[in-house]
Amino acid sequence: MSTIAGTAPRGQTRRRIRVDGWRWAGRIFLVFMLLYTALPMIWMLITSIKSGFAAMQFPPQWWPDEPTLASYQKLLDPQNSVGQDFLRFFWNSLFVSTVTTILSVIVAVPAAYAFSRFRFPGRNFLFFAVLLRNMFPAVIFLVPLFILMRMLGLVNTHGSLILTYLTFGLPLAIWLLKGFYDNIPVQLEQAARIDGATRFQAFILIVMPLSTPGIIATAIYSFIGAWNEYIYAYTFLSKNEQLTLPVGIQRFFSENTTDFPGLMAASFMMSVPVVVLFLVLQRYFVRALTEGAVKH
Amino acid sequence: MTIVTGKAEARRRLQSGRSGVLWKMWEHRADYAYVLPAIAVMLIVIAYPIYYTIELSFFKTPPGLQLRDKIYVGFDNYTNILTSPVFWKVTWNTMIWTLASTFISFVLGFGSALALHRDFIGRGVLRAILIIPWVISAVAASYIWKWIYHSDFGVIGAVLVGLGLADRPPNFIDNVSTVLPSLIVVNIWREFPFAMIMMMAGLQTVPEQLLSAAKVDGASAWQRFWHVTFPHLSSVSTVTILLLAVANFNSFIIPWIMTGGGPSNASHIWITHIYELAFGRQLWGVASAYSVLLFLILMTLGYFYVRALSGNERKEGSA
Repeated sequence: MSTIAGTAPRGQTRRRIRVDGWRWAGRIFLVFMLLYTALPMIWMLITSIKSGFAAMQFPPQWWPDEPTLASYQKLLDPQNSVGQDFLRFFWNSLFVSTVTTILSVIVAVPAAYAFSRFRFPGRNFLFFAVLLRNMFPAVIFLVPLFILMRMLGLVNTHGSLILTYLTFGLPLAIWLLKGFYDNIPVQLEQAARIDGATRFQAFILIVMPLSTPGIIATAIYSFIGAWNEYIYAYTFLSKNEQLTLPVGIQRFFSENTTDFPGLMAASFMMSVPVVVLFLVLQRYFVRALTEGAVKH
Repeated sequence: MTIVTGKAEARRRLQSGRSGVLWKMWEHRADYAYVLPAIAVMLIVIAYPIYYTIELSFFKTPPGLQLRDKIYVGFDNYTNILTSPVFWKVTWNTMIWTLASTFISFVLGFGSALALHRDFIGRGVLRAILIIPWVISAVAASYIWKWIYHSDFGVIGAVLVGLGLADRPPNFIDNVSTVLPSLIVVNIWREFPFAMIMMMAGLQTVPEQLLSAAKVDGASAWQRFWHVTFPHLSSVSTVTILLLAVANFNSFIIPWIMTGGGPSNASHIWITHIYELAFGRQLWGVASAYSVLLFLILMTLGYFYVRALSGNERKEGSA
């Protein structure tokens, strides 16, 4: 099926000999976008393998005369204080993001399922309330949340971040998952229930396995969102040993303003986990985002 | 007598109406159990803060978060904000920031989606590379670009000097007139992939038959795009633009890390300004009043957002 569908348009394009102006425009445009996207990242990598002295030159060395991994060694060496801090921030980010991800999935799965399947009064209202939450900026919630966290005794704990990320990740998570549940035929569950399964059994045994791609996608979104979050972590945490990566890096480099190779190396390493996660699970990631908005 | 019975009648009707809803809710009581965890968490973390922000916006608060000593001032915070020149400056910046970022991100994203729609060698790789800026942290992106824009050792300045377009490296982010456009470039760098993903998915729903039919009828590539593809994508485009607009309106990290709103408020947008008022100058009351105003603006946007979304659903239902 797919091969036939794939070859048909290709045959058509080959038959057309006349130069297609739109296609060339598209190619040139893509080259431009590739440069715009990739060059900053390439420059980050090149800078990160320079020495501090080599980075501060004008005109810049386009490729470092003496490439060095010193910045990376410094960041990853648990013996020196920079490495100690960096690895701790890394671990904190990993911990907060992982716990947030697991909790998000646990809370979002039943909610999304209900939004997709049941027709209870207030369902639409609730669903739009969920979506509307997405619209409000963190700043609106910062002051009251800060006070709330103080009341709960959670300031300066990772618990405050996990609770906040969980809440703010939920609308998107529910939205994404609902898209997946909408695409699972109800008949499957009905068949299971005719065979004597309870609604819950049908959900666990039939729906859950089928929605695995959706759950994976939701998990990646929660993880990346929590990993990259800055403003709450910046406000709720003040103790150095609890900072997550974005805040930790900012703290560190507001003190060492000239260590650009170190900063670029840190930025690179901060990006590695999410980029790898994204590249490996790209399929689910892209599909999930579009499922909610663009249903087929 | 008649009045009393009229009232009783009305009450009865009201009660029966209400009990109808209640009965329905009771019938569906098990369904709520699925949503309850999500609603409970959101009530604590969302509803309470919104209430608290509104309350605080009517108070003058002494610095230091000793909020018990707040003084009621009515609408003073609001009038102070609306009459201050900084407010209008920041509002203007926010408008430029939101409109430019949204529009250009959408155009670049849509263009990329169109260009990537046809299969060619390396399409998957190219698509993945174009999405990466959206995945990496905005903090990392801010630092990368801050280094690129650096006034002495920045690579853009060096290129401009090397090409003979400038005598000395221009100062992009310490300059009142260039700072906002420079930050918008960074923001677009991070945002356009989102538009690209959405529009790519949208393009897949355009029926091939319609396009080939139009081709048979002799429509040019542009005509096919304008009369078939584009109308088909109108609802996806609306949702994408609204989501982008909301995200841009709510931006914080890029201006905060790269400039902190400076120089002389030239890159302050609403959110960074509110943050500075609250956590920098500890003017909680004023910051809350700002937040309430922001809220109202977002509710307006939200109205259109919901309408666009429910429009989608309606279309789907009829299809």
